[in-house]
Amino acid sequence: MVFAWKAAGLTYNRYLAVAARVVRRSLKEDKRLAAERRGEQDLRFSKWSNGKQGEVKNLAEANAAAAVAAANAGGSA
Amino acid sequence: MNSLRIARAALRVRPTAFSAPLQRRSYAEAVPDKIRLSLSLPHQAIYKSQDVVQVNLPAESGDMGVLAGHVPSIEQLKPGVVEIIEESGGSKQFFLSGGFAIVQPNSLMSITAVEGFPLEDFSPEAVRSQIAEAQKVASGGGSEQDVAEAKIELEVLESLQHHLK
Repeated sequence: MVFAWKAAGLTYNRYLAVAARVVRRSLKEDKRLAAERRGEQDLRFSKWSNGKQGEVKNLAEANAAAAVAAANAGGSA
Repeated sequence: MNSLRIARAALRVRPTAFSAPLQRRSYAEAVPDKIRLSLSLPHQAIYKSQDVVQVNLPAESGDMGVLAGHVPSIEQLKPGVVEIIEESGGSKQFFLSGGFAIVQPNSLMSITAVEGFPLEDFSPEAVRSQIAEAQKVASGGGSEQDVAEAKIELEVLESLQHHLK
């Protein structure tokens, strides 16, 4: 059996993250605020070359862009 | 004379030593009648090796109930409700966002999920408004990934709405 999300190039990890996000958003107000804090991530990275810091990028955005690129290239990431 | 007595004693002991294991066997010993359940989320353990009577799972291969002595298995879970029937006879329901349930040979069960909450923690209004939003994205002209993510959200939300009724 092939899942629809798998066919669209999403990983199981991404599937779980999306499902968990929507569960957190469906909670009642007080629980939701406490739970949504767990889903947040704010990591930045940059590549250093020749002793110089490169562009600082957001990890989550870079990961999403890489996933789209991998899916469009037809690879099953 | 002395050695003869010992040999006789050994003769007498032997048959009882053979039959002892057979006499001790009983059904109560062969199968434990409880499942030892661990239900864990990354941030919380809802059940920690607690004895329960039955667990009903929303597996990808179909809904199933697990009792003690179940065959060992690994089941991928759909976003849905697990029902746990406790020793006291009461049952508890949790909505899990999807994960795995593992049954080990000695009636040991581990369920892992990313998020899990009792049904009363959910807000039906939030579910309804998100369904409308996800349907718009799913039928819209977004990228393939956006549509796929909206469809995942719809699957979760529809399951939630079904159980909240």
